[in-house]
Amino acid sequence: MLEAAHLTKRYASLPAVQDLSFTLQPGQVLGCLGPNGSGKSTTVKMLTGLLQPTRGVVQFNGRNIQEDLTAYRKRLGYVPEEAHLYPYLTGWEYLEMVATLRGIPGSELAKKIDTLLQLFSLHPHRHASIGTYSKGMRQRVLLIAAIMHNPDIFIFDEPLSGLDVTSALVFKNLVQALGRSGKLVFYCSHVLEVVEKVCSDVLILRKGAVIAQDSVANIGRLLGQSLENTFLQLVDEVDTLTVARDIVDVMRLGAAA
Amino acid sequence: MTSPFEILEHWWEYYRQRPFLRLVELFIARVFRGGGDADAEGLDLGIGLVLTLLAMPGGFVSLLLLDKYGTFAQWLKGITNVDVLQAALPDEYFFIVLSMTVTGAVAVWRWDAIFPDRRDYINLVPLPIATKTIFLANLVAVVFLASLVAIDVNAASCILFPAVVAATQLKFLFFVKFAAIHAIGVLLSSIFSFFAVFSVLGLLMAVLPPSAFRRASTYVRGLVVVYLVTLLCTSAAVPNLLRQAKEPSPAWTLLLPSCWFLGLCQWMRGRATPVMADLAKLTLPLLGAIVVIAFSVYALAYRRHFVRISELTEAISRWGRHRESGLLPQSLGHRSLDHLHRFLLRTPFQLACFPFIWKTLRRSETHRLVLTAVAGLGLVLSSQALMNAVEGTQSARQAALSPEALSIPFILSFLIIAGLRVVFEIPVELRSNWLFRLMLDPDSRECERLARNAVLILVLPCIFVMAFPVYAYLEGFRIASLHTLLVMTWAVLLTNILLVRFRKLPFTCTLPLFKQHSIVILLSFGFGFLIYSLSTPEFESSALLEPARMISLVPVAVVAWLIPHYLAKNTPEVDRKLIFEESPSRTIELLQLGD
Repeated sequence: MLEAAHLTKRYASLPAVQDLSFTLQPGQVLGCLGPNGSGKSTTVKMLTGLLQPTRGVVQFNGRNIQEDLTAYRKRLGYVPEEAHLYPYLTGWEYLEMVATLRGIPGSELAKKIDTLLQLFSLHPHRHASIGTYSKGMRQRVLLIAAIMHNPDIFIFDEPLSGLDVTSALVFKNLVQALGRSGKLVFYCSHVLEVVEKVCSDVLILRKGAVIAQDSVANIGRLLGQSLENTFLQLVDEVDTLTVARDIVDVMRLGAAA
Repeated sequence: MTSPFEILEHWWEYYRQRPFLRLVELFIARVFRGGGDADAEGLDLGIGLVLTLLAMPGGFVSLLLLDKYGTFAQWLKGITNVDVLQAALPDEYFFIVLSMTVTGAVAVWRWDAIFPDRRDYINLVPLPIATKTIFLANLVAVVFLASLVAIDVNAASCILFPAVVAATQLKFLFFVKFAAIHAIGVLLSSIFSFFAVFSVLGLLMAVLPPSAFRRASTYVRGLVVVYLVTLLCTSAAVPNLLRQAKEPSPAWTLLLPSCWFLGLCQWMRGRATPVMADLAKLTLPLLGAIVVIAFSVYALAYRRHFVRISELTEAISRWGRHRESGLLPQSLGHRSLDHLHRFLLRTPFQLACFPFIWKTLRRSETHRLVLTAVAGLGLVLSSQALMNAVEGTQSARQAALSPEALSIPFILSFLIIAGLRVVFEIPVELRSNWLFRLMLDPDSRECERLARNAVLILVLPCIFVMAFPVYAYLEGFRIASLHTLLVMTWAVLLTNILLVRFRKLPFTCTLPLFKQHSIVILLSFGFGFLIYSLSTPEFESSALLEPARMISLVPVAVVAWLIPHYLAKNTPEVDRKLIFEESPSRTIELLQLGD
């Protein structure tokens, strides 16, 4: 079980995340929703151990992850929000490096990478440098790197960005399959439909604090509407229809002249 | 009533908003900040800092010359009635090569950013701007930058050097004339250098297919750097050779454009020898020719490269696919190194990170350029040592045992090891280091061993190839073994010393900060070079005749071996942790009791 207890992160006294608590059970796929600046990425970084919380702890199976970060990270698969990869390495070389760092034995390594590259339709491009990859291809490299060592915890931060329709569908099914096989999945996204479809539970953040947490079905049922409308009602401070109308008005300003 | 200043400001604001000038502004900023494909994020400096750094060498050297031209200093040395124009000739030559080297180096450094790239294509082509406008805007930006760099590099020397030379002269007109001629000489040489590099770049882009250009680019840049370093090294010998040269002009003067510009300066002063006068006649036509060539190849390259940039990605990707499908086999050297590192490296950390180091050194433009510059310097120093060795000796065997010849592998190994140590500090794609932050154990303490293994795997085979076969052929197996063993031992010791308390994965940490002891470190490098590359071969030269004397080097080696071990052992725990950021040590630590 992964547990975040009273997590707080301040940057020069400005709070990014405040008193955030939740638990993630095996088999649970927890979606994390929130507008820009709500503290999603900070939360993810604290869950991966890349950032130390100002206050509070992240515990895995009852142990503070900071006590043995290396052991925790061996059981973690992480896809960051932006695909920052070394552009001069080929896809194969990057994955080989990750696999070696993960301690995957040499005999399994090549076969595993080869198979995963084929499944993610990257095999024909495996020896082209990452610098020539499209955004979706880079994202697929990150996904392979995150799952290749069969971790117990998955943390995905906007994993679908740039993926084509087929890869996105494969990935959505993969997340559900991971949940069914008893893995812990923390899934951050802006795309409400995806969260609604693949997550069993949802956590909604606003200005660094949790404003709602329940199963997807329950949240909708409580307010009697879809997740999108629930999200807008809970989070957004703007009338989206009015904003859209205003944008069209501003567009006409220059064109009229 | 509007003041002229306000009118000017209004005009400037009006034209600044025009698409053409906005494009020029964009291209100028791009050259300073790096192109879309540049990976030099660790070396991106601000415009102000870049210009200050470029202006510094000329200013410093001018000030150092005060001692030479100062009347009091001359009087103390007993020198009176000096012909300052005659005395200034070697210094003028030095300033010309300095301005050519620095300006050429800037063009090489920003090679990738001079031409519009894929990022420009993606951003600009969808806009309603004619490609001709983009072409002209980039050309204006390049001309502006060439002029800016030429003025900046030479600004200090154009004022300070004439002031220093004219310090003993009573007439102000002397200063004005000297300064004007000097300024013309150095500015034109700077412009020549910039456009010469620009022409090479444009020619390659115009002639080669995109994938071949990408592969050839680094090697050509390396060659240009080596040429520029060589040019700088000619400053000691060329002025005298040029003074003594008889008509017709020697062929080597045609290979050194710096000689033409010196000839031009001397001709304008009415002090040119016949050879210099001939060279002066070449200067302006050749400068004009290089500018015309640069503009022509730029136009050709633009047409061939920028307009077809969208096809480039596909072409490169296809090339990669060809390679994986076996059409382009991996090199034998690469495969041998792969086997070697799998044999020598044991832990997952070392097995994963050594290929990362090796591939970064091979593929990152910035790192290759720095190493090429260091290797170029090494080649120049080695060739000078070789010439000195051959000069005063009767046979190749005798020359091989001279300190100068023995110093060659020492010079090269010192510079490569020190170069690698410096290059390890230059980050590459810093934002991508999240992977190592996430996966590496900060307490693993393997970085020092990994860096040492990487240096030695790269350097020791080179030393063996450089030293053993030549000495085995000339002096026999025993001398060759002793010499190779000594250089290898010294290389291992130097590597150990340079990597004491190294706790980074190479290329993944922010650039080191300038600390108070940085100057001491720089001086130590210079002092170390003298001991390693000059004193050791001096001793070795006499010891090889009596090999028993070599034993006296053993205590030195033992001490050099023990010091880094002692320092490593006594490193505080906090200084052993793996780091990814060079943060300054805080004078005041906040307690943050409010949190």
